[in-house]
Formats: sequence, C-alpha cells, structure tokens
Amino acid sequence: MKVFAVRGKFENKFGESIMSDKPEYFIDENGLRLDGRRTDEIRPMTMEMGVLSRADGSCYLEWGNNKVIAAVYGPRELHPRRLQRPSEVLVRYRYNMAAFSVEDRIRPGPSRRSTEISKVSGEAFEPVVMTQYYPGAVIDVFAEVLQADAGTRTAAINAATLALADAGIPMKGLVAACAVGKVDGQLVLDLNKPEDNYGDADLPVAMTQDGEITLLQMDGNLTHEEFIKAMEMVKKGCDQIFELQRKTLISRFGSEDDVEALEGSIETEPEEEEAEELSEEEVPSEKEDVSDTGDNAEDVDDSGEKFKEDVADFDEQRESGSDEEDKTSDEDVKDEEDEASDEDVKGEEDEQ
Amino acid sequence: MSSEVVSRLKKDYIYNLMLKGQREDGRQFDEARDIVIETNVVDKAEGSANVQIGDTRVMVGIKVQIGSPFPDTPDKGVIITSMELNPIASPDFEAGPPRPKAIEMARVVDRGIRESGAIDLSKLCITKGEEVWIIFIDVHVLNNGGNLLDAASLGSIAALMTTTIPYEREGRGEDIRMPIREMPIGISLIDVGGELFIDPTYSEEAICDTRLTITSNQDGSICAMQKSGAGSLSEAQVLKAVETALERAAVIREKHLLNI
Amino acid sequence: MDHNIVIPGQMLSEDVKSAGHGTYVKNDKVYSLYYGVANLKDRTYVVPFSGKYIPSRKDYLIGVVIQLTSSNWIFDIRSPYDGLLHVSEYPKRVESSGMKRIMDIGDCAILRIKDVSKSMRTDVSMRERGLRPLKDGRLIEILPTKVPRVIGHNGSMVSMLKKESNCDMFVGQNGRIWIQGKDHEMDRLTEAIDMIEREAHTSGLTEKVQQFMNNDPVVEDDIVSGSDESVDQGSDASSEDNDDTIPEETCRKIDALLDDAEDA
Repeated sequence: MKVFAVRGKFENKFGESIMSDKPEYFIDENGLRLDGRRTDEIRPMTMEMGVLSRADGSCYLEWGNNKVIAAVYGPRELHPRRLQRPSEVLVRYRYNMAAFSVEDRIRPGPSRRSTEISKVSGEAFEPVVMTQYYPGAVIDVFAEVLQADAGTRTAAINAATLALADAGIPMKGLVAACAVGKVDGQLVLDLNKPEDNYGDADLPVAMTQDGEITLLQMDGNLTHEEFIKAMEMVKKGCDQIFELQRKTLISRFGSEDDVEALEGSIETEPEEEEAEELSEEEVPSEKEDVSDTGDNAEDVDDSGEKFKEDVADFDEQRESGSDEEDKTSDEDVKDEEDEASDEDVKGEEDEQ
Repeated sequence: MSSEVVSRLKKDYIYNLMLKGQREDGRQFDEARDIVIETNVVDKAEGSANVQIGDTRVMVGIKVQIGSPFPDTPDKGVIITSMELNPIASPDFEAGPPRPKAIEMARVVDRGIRESGAIDLSKLCITKGEEVWIIFIDVHVLNNGGNLLDAASLGSIAALMTTTIPYEREGRGEDIRMPIREMPIGISLIDVGGELFIDPTYSEEAICDTRLTITSNQDGSICAMQKSGAGSLSEAQVLKAVETALERAAVIREKHLLNI
Repeated sequence: MDHNIVIPGQMLSEDVKSAGHGTYVKNDKVYSLYYGVANLKDRTYVVPFSGKYIPSRKDYLIGVVIQLTSSNWIFDIRSPYDGLLHVSEYPKRVESSGMKRIMDIGDCAILRIKDVSKSMRTDVSMRERGLRPLKDGRLIEILPTKVPRVIGHNGSMVSMLKKESNCDMFVGQNGRIWIQGKDHEMDRLTEAIDMIEREAHTSGLTEKVQQFMNNDPVVEDDIVSGSDESVDQGSDASSEDNDDTIPEETCRKIDALLDDAEDA
C-alpha cells in the first residue's frame, strides 16, 4: 500500500524501543491520512459503562486500536491519614499499562512515565469533581490500558469520565481528552501510532464542556500560529467526544439487557431525545425547553412524585455534606420532623 | 480498609446455606458458573485471552521475546508467569508490589503450565546456550468475583494456545505456532463444613478456611496441586476433590479449549 | 415531561431560584452535578443513579463493627466515614472489658447518627428504643440512592413488604436492610427488594411489588407488562395526597424503625 523508506529498530519518545517502519509520507495527495482519516477526524470510539461489578463505577472504551478500562472506587476512607485533606476529597488517579499492551513487554508496576501521567490525569478531574462534598475521603480512579495504540492517556481520561459519572460522583461537567499533532508539516487530530512515533509534535489536551482546559502537555515543535490552530482543532475533537459520551450515558438505561427496566423506561425515552436536541442546539433558548416540559406536564404519570422522595432523602445528605449556610434553618425543620417521628414510634410500640 | 470486615450476619447466612449444600447465587455445591472465553483480544500481545467466570474477569496476555536460557537448561525456552491483584478489581486490592496471595496464585498457574509440559520448551531454543524464546504470561485481574485462580489458569492456557512465536518480527524466518502439547486446567474447591464447593464466589471464599486446587491434563493425570488457607482437609475430601476436579476439567476442555 | 435522564454539566434551567439539590448555578443558569434523573417541575433537582451514603444527623442506619477501642465501637456504615459509638451511647453501662461480649468485630447493629462534625466525624448512638445489636436474621445491601424506593411514600412499601412477607424488616438509610422471618419468607422478600432496586426508576413500583409478593414468581413477566396502566392511576392518587406534606420524611423514618423492641 505505502512505500516505506526507513526500516529497522527505533526508540519512541518514551525511550521504549519499537520495531516499526517510518512511512515516506503521512498525508496523501487527497489530504487523507494513512488510516484514511481527514486531518480533523478522530478515530472511531465506543464506550460501555458498568462493566465491572466490584467497582462503584466503570467504563470500557475502545478508540482506534486502544482498549482501556477505567474503574472508580469511592468516595471511600483514605489511608494513610497523612494524605487526607481536611476540607476536600482527594482524587487519586492511577494510569497503568498491562504488561502485554505494547509491542515490547513492559514490566508490571509504576514507571516514571505512568507516574507522571497519573498525576496530571488526576489533576484533569480536580476542577470538575465537587471535592468539598467528601472532606478527608478519597475517590480512586483506576485506568488500565489493555492495548495501546497512541493516545492512551487521553483514551483513559475519556473512559474515566464515564466511570466517575457511573459511580454517582458529583461533577460540574464531563471531561473529554484528545491530542493534536503535526506530521508532514500539517496539523492532525488524534494521532495514530505512526504519527505519534514519527510526528513533529504531540499536544494532548483535556477540557470541560465549556472549554476549560484541565490537562495540557506538549512535546515537539509548533509555531505560534500552529498552536492556535491546534487548540481549535482539539476543541472540535473534544466536542465530538462529548457527544459520544453523552449518547453513551443517555442510552445506558434504554439498552439495559434487563427487560423489566427497559419496559419501565420506554415511556420516558422520546422525551429524553427531545431534551437532548434542545440542550445541544439551543443552549441560549433553554427556556423553551422548560416551557415545553411544562406543557407536557399534564399527560405524564406520577413519576415526578416518585422522585420527590428520593430527593427528600438526598436533601438531607447534602445538608450535612456541604451547604453549611443552609444548615441552621433546615436543622430546625428536621428537629420538628424528628420529634414527630419519635412520637410515632411510641405509638407503634403501644399498639404492640 | 473497612471493606475487609464482612458482617457476621452475612457470613452466617452464607455459611448456613452452604451447610445445607446450597449457595448464595442458587447454585448446587458442584455447579460452576458460566464461562466465557474470548481469544486474541489484544493485538499487541503474541497471544491473549479474556476469561469471564460469572462476575470474575481476567485478561491474560502472552509476550514472546528473545533472551538467554537458564544455564542448567541451555537448549530450552523460558516461561515467566506474573499475576497482579490490581486495585481496579476489588475494593480490597491495593496498588503495590504483588503480595503473597498474588505470588502464590501466579506460581500455581505457572506450575500447571510447566509441569504438564504444555509447552514444548525444546522447540523454543534458537541457539543453544545463547538465545531462546522467553514466554511471558501476564495475568491481569480486572474484576474479582471469586475463583481468580481458575480464571487465571484457564486464561493462561487459552492465551498460549493462540500464541504465535514471532520469528518474522525478529527477522529470523517464518512465524510458528506456540508448540502446545497439553491443556492443563486448574480447578479449585473450597471446604465449608466438610462439604466441597466448586467455583467459589468471593463471599464464599471469605468464609472458607481451605482451598484445594488441582491441575490436570487431557489424559486425566494430575500435574499440579496446591492446598491453600489455614484449615485442613481429610484424605477422603482430597480424593473426592480430585475426582470432581478431573471431571470438571474435562468438561471445560471439551467445551472451551478444543475449539480454540 | 417532569423528569429526564441528565448528565453532569447539562443545563437544566435558567431559573436560578429553582435550583435544588444535585445542581449548581453558574452564570445565572442551573446545571446538573450528577448522572441521574432530573425533576424540572417546581424545583430543579437531580437524583443520581448511584453514589455512596454520606452520614447525616438523625439518620437511622445499620453498622458493622470493624474495630474496638477502649471506649468506642467503630462501625463501617458503608460510607467514606466510620461511625463512632462511645460506650456511654450504649443503653446500659458497659466496662471496657465487657464491650467485646456485647458487640465484636463483624457484629451488626441498628444505630442512629447523633452528630456529624464538619470534618465528617460521625458519632452514633444506641440510646433510643429500637436501636440494638442484630444477632440473627439476614442483612441485604442495596444502593443507598434506592433506599427511598424501598421505604415508599409514607413508608407504604415497607409496610406492604412486611405484611406480605410476614418478616420483620428494618431499612437503614445507608442501604443496609435487615430482615428476619422464616427462610422461604426471607428468600421471597429478598427477591422483592432486588426487584425494587432493579426497577427503582420505573413507575407503579409498589403495585408491581405487591403483585409479585402475592403471586408465584413464575408469572412475573405477565404482571410487569400487563399492570402498568391501572397501576399508575392508583399511585397517582395516593401520591397526590401527600404531595406537599412534610411528614413523609418522618413517616419513612418511623416505618424504617421497627416496631420491635424486645431489647428494651
């Protein structure tokens, strides 16, 4: 298919030796890359949530030939104590490559590379996780790379976001990650393996839905103009990933193999899609969405009520957890409730 | 970590059920959970398998590299088996170097492969005394639903059966298939109140004192055994366990390995 | 539509005053904090699909002893924070040496949260009727976010489950449920609770569960598909009644607290 000019054993930028062939060119006359993508196109990505029964949240992700599984445990108790943060939760992220995930086996256990990636990836989530909700505790995120094919750290972050959502961790938004690089003097989105190995630059970025950058690394060489363009491209890449993440989340309870759950959620499905469209296309006119739902309110069942009680319960948790100011006023109410409850308990006992 | 303490009510419940020969998930004492094996799941590995036994999930990858033989076996390839109890797999597992439990399991898996002669190591010699193929078996535990050892053992042989020796990659001729001669399968049983239970879940493992693993070959011979845990077994129990393990191994071999 | 599946960071409303729990406000708009179900009717709030139990004052819960100190039992309460029970919060006078005999590691007890400090130190008490060690029966664990569904409006689900199963039952806010009865009755009740957890986000649940408890499990399929229509009517009416009454929360807690006080 392609003419290969160089052949032999190389080292990639992590010092890992690789047997590979450097292609003569990366982008053909039609502007397409070796794998047939346009320069601004990401590789196909699929995600599946809730794949590990022991974890509080999990997600398996395939992106190109990357295969990554992420799990979240917590919030849970943090040991050793000296790591505890008195007023917030610690987000502890562990990026790990399976020994067999790359050409040359890597020794199990942390390396300097994986330690750095773990650190910056964890920090990519700190701005979105509501850390003040669980003071002194830890949220553990484990990202295991089962098969590596360029862009593993970004793949891991994309999986970790959904695992966090699956675990019920409060977050201001999702995080998506994607890299831009340079080959043949052109910027390309989401590097594949040869582009990663022989390219002139690599710029992995993670960001929130409103464009806050939470991870940024770069190596290689980019001009100022190229960098500006690269950031635009990476934003578009992340937008595509957000869309895939959102679809995965929304469809989860529609595609459950649990037939009974499916039956229960059928009635809600059309509305969900409606809401989806509204929120993505008409952010400024979200009011329409609200009034829309108001109109439909008459013909819906009691499900709104049903969730009220959940919330009542949840309110209570939140009060002690975070809203310090509201606490006093709510406290009174709770005390009243409580007295009532004590009375009723006595009543029941009398009946006995 | 607090998750290590299992409530006495739960222990009692599981224990009392098991005394009646029943189990938490409705199985019989000699009934195993469903097994799903997928092979060639990792392109970067020379062989790989994803094994699910109920909720338990392990991935095994085989890497093959050129290295030096051991001085006492200059014309034989080398097998190195590693297993880590990754923190992704359970709230009880912690990051760090393998602990005794993980090392024991890796070594039991390794013994099964080695002692059965599953791999014809003499075919993995390139230059006597200088270069041989080194086979790395890496067991990556993803979800601990119990009975990790059987999953690791099964995943290892399944992954080896799909392995290619990469002569071409190293510029030394044509690739060959891994020289497999045998299909060892490890079967573990736990003892609860004198009764032996096959394929334990993690909560069943938490209440038992003793596990016995029997690895057997196609002809019904035994190639490795390991008693693990603080309890003891009677001779009758051991004989019964061997019988059960041989039967179960034959079923798994027939159903899951012969078609790989 | 009153509720939707929403994701973290999804904009829910522009009415900042409506912002309720599970939401946050940024630039005069209300966003979701959780992957869960949002209510957009009067107040805007989000109930997550999953999550850990976070201790809150006066909650009833079930703890498992994980450690004993000279004056405290330390309980795992399925939360990032342990529950501390000081000997003085046990209803009878206990010497340090006698603590182990009352509750040892692995033992369970019904507790009530006395106080939660800012740093989430959680003190629990047993000095109230009904709070006691649980020496027999079974313990079931469900997601804490599903607890309100097991309790039901005004405790209706718990009452029904108790009546139909002939079992004693206590639902801890932390997602631990204790049941006691004959083996086959407990098996049945366990199945019913599983069903509630599985279908917590569907409607007409009380009736589905009631039918399950009344019928043979084999016909479960028929019940689920056939009963939705009539079922919704029923629960609509009942929930309308309690729509704005606060004691709902109260009732839940009472119902959760068993009418069983043999300890006292």
